[in-house]
Amino acid sequence: MSTQTQAPAGSDRPGAVTATPAIEISGLTKTYGSSDTPSVNNISLSVPAGTVFGFLGPNGAGKTTTIKILAGLLAATSGKTLLNGYDVTRRRSATMQQFGAVLEGSRNVYWTLSAWQNLLYFGRLKGMRGADARDRAEELLKGLDLWERRDEKVGGYSRGMQQKVAVAAALIADPPIVLLDEPTIGLDVEATRTVMEWIRTMARDRGKTVLLTTHQMNVVEELCDRVAVIRKGEVVADLPTDQLLAQFRERDKYEVRVEGNLPELSLPSGFTARSVEGTTIISGRVSDPQQVYTLVDRLRDQHAVVQSLSQVQPDLEDVFMGLIKAPAHD
Amino acid sequence: MTSVAPAATERPGRPARTDWKLTPRTGLSVMRAEVRKGLLSQLAHPVGHIIMLVISTVLYLGMQYVMGQGTLRRELIPETLVAISGYWFLHYGSLVMVADLVEEKRGGTYSQSHMSPAPPWVFMLGRLVTASLMGLMVAVVATLVPMLVTGVTIPLKAAALVPYALVVVNVLAFTFVLAAIAVSSPMVGALHSLFTSLVILLNGSMMPLALYPDWLAVVARFLPTTLGVEATTKVLFDGKSLGDIWSDGTLPWLLAYTFALVLFGGWLFSRNHRRAVRDGRLGQY
Repeated sequence: MSTQTQAPAGSDRPGAVTATPAIEISGLTKTYGSSDTPSVNNISLSVPAGTVFGFLGPNGAGKTTTIKILAGLLAATSGKTLLNGYDVTRRRSATMQQFGAVLEGSRNVYWTLSAWQNLLYFGRLKGMRGADARDRAEELLKGLDLWERRDEKVGGYSRGMQQKVAVAAALIADPPIVLLDEPTIGLDVEATRTVMEWIRTMARDRGKTVLLTTHQMNVVEELCDRVAVIRKGEVVADLPTDQLLAQFRERDKYEVRVEGNLPELSLPSGFTARSVEGTTIISGRVSDPQQVYTLVDRLRDQHAVVQSLSQVQPDLEDVFMGLIKAPAHD
Repeated sequence: MTSVAPAATERPGRPARTDWKLTPRTGLSVMRAEVRKGLLSQLAHPVGHIIMLVISTVLYLGMQYVMGQGTLRRELIPETLVAISGYWFLHYGSLVMVADLVEEKRGGTYSQSHMSPAPPWVFMLGRLVTASLMGLMVAVVATLVPMLVTGVTIPLKAAALVPYALVVVNVLAFTFVLAAIAVSSPMVGALHSLFTSLVILLNGSMMPLALYPDWLAVVARFLPTTLGVEATTKVLFDGKSLGDIWSDGTLPWLLAYTFALVLFGGWLFSRNHRRAVRDGRLGQY
């Protein structure tokens, strides 16, 4: 399968004021130890400033490896990674001031410290002056509804609150780029919603560039301007979200919903029926739209009550599954 | 969720400041934050430290009681107290350093602390200061309590501060070596146990080094603290001057050993850190 990409357009977000991409990856390859198979294989991505960029892929595809390289926690085998134009390997100090990160599967913050102590610590570590760190910590904790409980140990917080503190720690120095590796993993619906709102606010109102990985496609569909899909270390798609969905729209696939469980319906060839909770869903591909009318006529003849008729619109999950299951190109 | 206050940056989306430079002021600021964080974390669970304080005093007195075959031999206590202070400083300081590092690597916060413009060795030094303060606390108590219990005092001589300062540097360097190992291997706990057991056996904590067989004393001098304790006790109890311990070779050997340990610690940390970044083991084992 060929890679589906389009050069990223400049975002119309308030933060998109610079021509330099916020994140630029070119020819990035990472091979661990003596392995023959690279975890990340010659990938190139460009993320405009102010974009929420979804970086998707199945487990082990190379998402976390890429994020760790961007964060300077892992050395690439070859290739270049720039954050706001600063080379991660050559300008480490400048790069570290460009981003904040919430990493997957780790605590990110100290559970034995309070939220307040954590934010002051990470602020100083990022090179902030004490007074600036205190002001910013207050702003963040109030914004995340944690101000009243700022002096409690983070270990006593709920999972959602702990994740809020991790997000706040990533934002303490007000970095223009935020790397979020599975920020909603393990969160309940409400906490997920809170984190999503924050991501939206960061990008829309504050012009931050967000690189987001998640397995929750609804999160990506709702938040991301652009999506890249990585499979076995290679980028197989890199498009604006709406274009990616449009490209996978199946114009010849139709779905008809009929009231009741009617497995005995006689259908024209090419259509199949299944019952779901008191509704019969008939779907099939047609080469000639006339076949749809034939189906409806047949249903009417059988006194079936048609609830809806629609062209199948894929969601991001369908697209994602289609991309990662497609045979790899040589 | 409440709304977020207006942006603190004047130009949202623009590159952040890049003017952070490592200077004594900025380096100390990062180190101070690291020390403060470390002490807050340590003091969040005080019971473990209190138990260690009790163990440290009971162990020494019990050990001396057994060595004295049922009595506390007062003539041996001053010299062995100097050694036991070095031992506890080494044992507990390095334990705190190593245990913290292993726990943070497994937890994920070690990775987070690396996303700082400051180079990694700066906050490693901060961690070392925290660990040393904890070690110092135990060493002081482990020395003062037996002095109070037995009524034995250690004569204070300014000249002894030089070799004892080298004991401290010795301990810090050895702790840094263990920390460097902890960066790449969780098995550092076994090494810590091995070396600290050898130190308490051979650095003069049980009995003065002069009472050991010659070959064992030679072996003992390769362990951290032994040479420093030997030099310190010569000044304190044998009436030797700094010139004397220089000319008999004790001080030059101590300086060379300490210098080598510092260099080795720095080299090992640099190498293991580089490998951890190469192999993706900065935040995991």
